[in-house]
Amino acid sequence: MRRHDCYEERGRKEGLVRVFFGSPLPWLLPLAAILGATFIYPIFEIARLSFTDASLVGGEYSYTLESYLSLFWSPYFANMLKVTAVFVSFSVVFQMLFGLLIALAVDRGARMGLKTSIVTRTAVLSAWAIPGVIIGIIWSILYEQSAAGILNYVLGSIGLSVPFLSDPQVALASVTVANIWRGTAFSMILLYAGLQTLPEDVMEAARVDGANAWQRLTRVVLPLLAPILLINLIVVSIETFNTFDMVLALTGGGPGRSTEVVALSIYNQIFQQFDLGQGAATAVLLLTINLLMTFVYVGFLERKEEVG
Amino acid sequence: MFIYKRRMSRRKFLRLGGAGFAGAVLLGSAGCGGEGESEEAIGWQAIPGYSLQAPDENRVEYIQNAISSWEQSSGYTIDPLVTSSNVNEAMALLLEQASQSRAPDLAMVDSYIFPRFYEYVRPVGDYLGGISLDDYFPFIREGMSSPDGEVRGMQFTTDVRVMYYRRDLIPTPPSSWGELLQTGRDLLSEDENLTPYLFPAGRDEATVTTSLFPYFWAQGGELVDGEGNPVFGEGENREAMLDSLGFIQECVESGITPNRVTEFGQETDLNGDVASGQTAMFLGGNWQVGLLKEIIGAEEFVSQWAVAPIPSMEGGDTHSTTAGGWIWGVFTEDEAKQEAGVDFLKYAFVDDAGMAGWCNVGGYLPPRESVFGFSDYQGNEYTDTFRDHLNRYARNRPAAESYQNISTALQVAVGQVVSGDTSPEQALETAVSSVQG
Repeated sequence: MRRHDCYEERGRKEGLVRVFFGSPLPWLLPLAAILGATFIYPIFEIARLSFTDASLVGGEYSYTLESYLSLFWSPYFANMLKVTAVFVSFSVVFQMLFGLLIALAVDRGARMGLKTSIVTRTAVLSAWAIPGVIIGIIWSILYEQSAAGILNYVLGSIGLSVPFLSDPQVALASVTVANIWRGTAFSMILLYAGLQTLPEDVMEAARVDGANAWQRLTRVVLPLLAPILLINLIVVSIETFNTFDMVLALTGGGPGRSTEVVALSIYNQIFQQFDLGQGAATAVLLLTINLLMTFVYVGFLERKEEVG
Repeated sequence: MFIYKRRMSRRKFLRLGGAGFAGAVLLGSAGCGGEGESEEAIGWQAIPGYSLQAPDENRVEYIQNAISSWEQSSGYTIDPLVTSSNVNEAMALLLEQASQSRAPDLAMVDSYIFPRFYEYVRPVGDYLGGISLDDYFPFIREGMSSPDGEVRGMQFTTDVRVMYYRRDLIPTPPSSWGELLQTGRDLLSEDENLTPYLFPAGRDEATVTTSLFPYFWAQGGELVDGEGNPVFGEGENREAMLDSLGFIQECVESGITPNRVTEFGQETDLNGDVASGQTAMFLGGNWQVGLLKEIIGAEEFVSQWAVAPIPSMEGGDTHSTTAGGWIWGVFTEDEAKQEAGVDFLKYAFVDDAGMAGWCNVGGYLPPRESVFGFSDYQGNEYTDTFRDHLNRYARNRPAAESYQNISTALQVAVGQVVSGDTSPEQALETAVSSVQG
């Protein structure tokens, strides 16, 4: 009887092992471990540190809400959000708009068999491949206000001089333009790929029905591209919210704090002021904004699909 | 021909993989045991420009020669380590390492922040031999010794900020703010294409160390109190800061300084404007001499440019300036290594020949007065003036923990005033609120 129980027990164990190895779990666990170690744990740590007064240079720290309170009550908080909102919204809108226009032009060129469309595609993509710091330096040379600045040298020929980086309002516009230049390539590539997937028969049907170019774009192409546009919107928004390297090289956040976006503020708080607690609190704020925007976008798409 | 094919089961594969991983971890832990694990190796950490990774071949050659010749006679080897080129990041990392007893045996520390390392660095006074603390400039002496009187570090370079002016345009350099404004206006009325006065006003450390603190300190202003709390917005300090920001605003409003100075984060960012020949005066550092000689030509630069103290509110002899430099700290607890490490640092950077050699190669100023007279020290046409300023006007930034916040807040304040975004009063108010949290 006892031997029978023992066999039964062993059989059950072997069954469980077989079920375990037969399931996807052994394959998913390593991935889960890597994701946990490289994504979940750092996010947890950032969230934990945001409730402390920790310093980057170590030492003891205590748990407190002071990081959030001093962030929200700081004299530059509202300005930082305003600067970030302007930077992100204009960057996203124009990156997607220019990306779409270039993608349509390149697609049209490719359909017409123009060899230059490959050159155009490569040239636009090169902007995306350049590191942000280098882009910041390139644009600072273009924007320089002295006679050495390329844009002001050209404008000087018609008697103009623009304070691209020294006037607070103009500086924000200048930084945004540089970021639009940088990010347009990504939108172009994504949307160009999307255009290749459009069903040719639907396009042909629209042509046969007498739709002109504008009608084909707005009533056929854009609705079909909607999922790609949404992915583009999410990725570009998050990427722009997280941009700091180009701004750091171009203006460092100045003049004053006129170009200090949230991501750059995090860098400054942690690596310039060693304030890990408040830097982490600002990072949590940025994460929250990114998550909220993603949920809103996805919710919007799902609702649209249901209506459709 | 018989070929034996052996298939490996998944279990065996996983077992072997696990064993391999464990082996790799063991080997890795054995091989990554920190700097200077070998008994004879001394970990020596520097920022890139002071290391074997320096972009200047002369520096690399100097360091290579110093290491190899010292190693031959010492029985120890030097394990060169390089930290971040971002000084703030490098110092933050080193402080963190030191607080966890993980710092390299020897490491360079920015002189102003050195007091925050006192509790981690070993006293080196017993190993200094013939090098006297009294030989160092007074403001350096204070930083090298901890409050208990122990010598904790060995400063091996220093620097100083001055006003450069064109000899051919300005016969007598302005000493007070009023004289400077008048000189600038006069120059502008003679040549409207001229830029009379430039200084860094971007989001970087030079904006405060070169363009603000000398004005503020010359009026007796203090950034922090004895306990390191920010006090630049209180009482007489507030007045001194308001006057300093107000003077900067006046420079811009009078037209002698263009508001594009907010594009200059570091002193060397001004070099292009200086080389263009359209600049009459600028605030900069002693290290720019070598760079500008290369750009403009040594003879032309020396014939055109002279240096003077940074103008102060009152003029006369009430000037002040910011100095800095680097200190070697010894972190190892091993006494034999401490002695050998100090011996290496003295040989390469701190004794007469070492300090003169490294300052020649890097274009630095020696922090010990006697080295200026040492036969091997070369200096340049401006060295005597720099030495005089180090003696009479120089001071270092406070080592207080609040300093990084103060610096950022005041960089922002200067930028806001220069760009016309806010008044000096508003800018100061915001800066005070920022550092108070």
